[in-house]
Amino acid sequence: MTMIGADLEYYRRAQRGELDLGWLRDCRSEWGVKAKPSRIGLTLRDISIGSYGEVPEHAPRRTMAPRGSDIDANVPDMGYTINDKSEVWSDNVLSLYEEAVSRQWSATRDIPWSELPELDPDLEHAMCQLCTVLSEVEMVAADFPAKWLWKINHDFIEAKMFLCTQVMDEARHTEVFRKRALANGGGLGKSKAVVEEFLKLVLDAESYDEGSALMHLLGEGIVLSMFRAGEFLAPSPVEKRIFRLCMQDEARHVAYGTMHLRYRLQRDPSLAEDFHGYLDKGENIIAMLFTTPEVVEPTTILAAGGVAQAEELAMSAANIVRGNVIHEYLERCEHAGMPRWDRVTLPPEMLTDVPGLQGDVAARVAEVAV
Amino acid sequence: MSELPNDAAFPSDGWFGRLAAAAYDDPETFARLGFAELRLVVEVIDGDDRRRFGIVLDGYDVEYAGELTDALEFAPEATVTGPSDAWREMAENIDAHGGADNEHTLNRLTMAGVPLRVEAVDPMGRDKFYRYAETLQTLFDGTARRSARV
Repeated sequence: MTMIGADLEYYRRAQRGELDLGWLRDCRSEWGVKAKPSRIGLTLRDISIGSYGEVPEHAPRRTMAPRGSDIDANVPDMGYTINDKSEVWSDNVLSLYEEAVSRQWSATRDIPWSELPELDPDLEHAMCQLCTVLSEVEMVAADFPAKWLWKINHDFIEAKMFLCTQVMDEARHTEVFRKRALANGGGLGKSKAVVEEFLKLVLDAESYDEGSALMHLLGEGIVLSMFRAGEFLAPSPVEKRIFRLCMQDEARHVAYGTMHLRYRLQRDPSLAEDFHGYLDKGENIIAMLFTTPEVVEPTTILAAGGVAQAEELAMSAANIVRGNVIHEYLERCEHAGMPRWDRVTLPPEMLTDVPGLQGDVAARVAEVAV
Repeated sequence: MSELPNDAAFPSDGWFGRLAAAAYDDPETFARLGFAELRLVVEVIDGDDRRRFGIVLDGYDVEYAGELTDALEFAPEATVTGPSDAWREMAENIDAHGGADNEHTLNRLTMAGVPLRVEAVDPMGRDKFYRYAETLQTLFDGTARRSARV
């Protein structure tokens, strides 16, 4: 490692008023740039102009130097391992970052906690169990980007900044569901190994590609649908607001994940098979989640209005949620450029309400339906 | 904006005018919710008749809210469609409670695909309906006639 010693000669000259001014006279970065604010303020897109808006396909250095600055030749190597733009970029990442910053909310201030009504104990249990699962799963979507952020080259700073907003979003989701579980006489419920298995799969992903596909596309897509279901089934306006606010954040993350994968595959279609492999693995665990009582039964009880009613209605509410989850997930896969209508590996029994299936998958589902 | 007729029923330009006025009259709430960019169509089906109303969210404002003569030209990112009975029931519920009750929020009415359904050319458009869920609900709640507001 090169050590840079203090330049005492310069220090003494500067003390005498002999300024260097090399940074002022000889700076090789672009001068004369004047970004104009748009109607909502000065956005990342507004400043993405001239040489500053040029994001290299492959980062020429591995440094924290701001992209577009005049960089010393002897800057240290930061050891970034993600140095290709397509590994993290998406066409919507600039606007998603701005939106994320603009739409932050507070789990302390923006939820009318004092208006929580007392619930039937079965419903309170169900809501608390749902909140336990959500409080558990949400933080992985902070841990995963945090684990990879320091490996992403600084030239892709907008993508890194977006991932930072995701970390904050997920911290707030963990917070709000923990608060809801503790706010109304219930408390936290059961944490299941199968849920942790999926989180471990995301966290242990060997590449950002793998983890992003599992988390942004599959995991967060499913959680987005769970938030929609949570709003649908919420026993009071308090939970309604919680789920709507979380839904907004989660949809941003899914929008990044879908468009990132699309960007990645457009530049290297040969990666499609790798991504299919990641999702095959992920779907296997998702199938296990769909057969975990602690995950599926709370929504059934909330939908039915109690345990006794839920036993009569069976799993009809959970089936609606699952059908939506899978269909929306498969649509996003197709939009990303890797359709899985004929490849989804979930058991046929779980696909009976999913339209658009093709090939062998459709045939297997038809057999089950008969 | 505030001078719009307060008695226009759903579906009408007056009703959607009240929706746009909600953002105009309470900029603090909408600034706090954050900016949004969305072109949404509300499709009201009455037998063979279909009326379509466009809503354009731009920044913190509602740039347009009213009936469309050409929905294709409007180029919606998402469409919420359903029978006029369901839409009217939602609007009346908002009026009665000063905002939608638990059974009549936009997400509640669209989640199962009945009575309302979200349609989009691609999933990114559909997901925008979720990305701005709280903004949209606050706007729709804002159509409650003034006397009904809490």
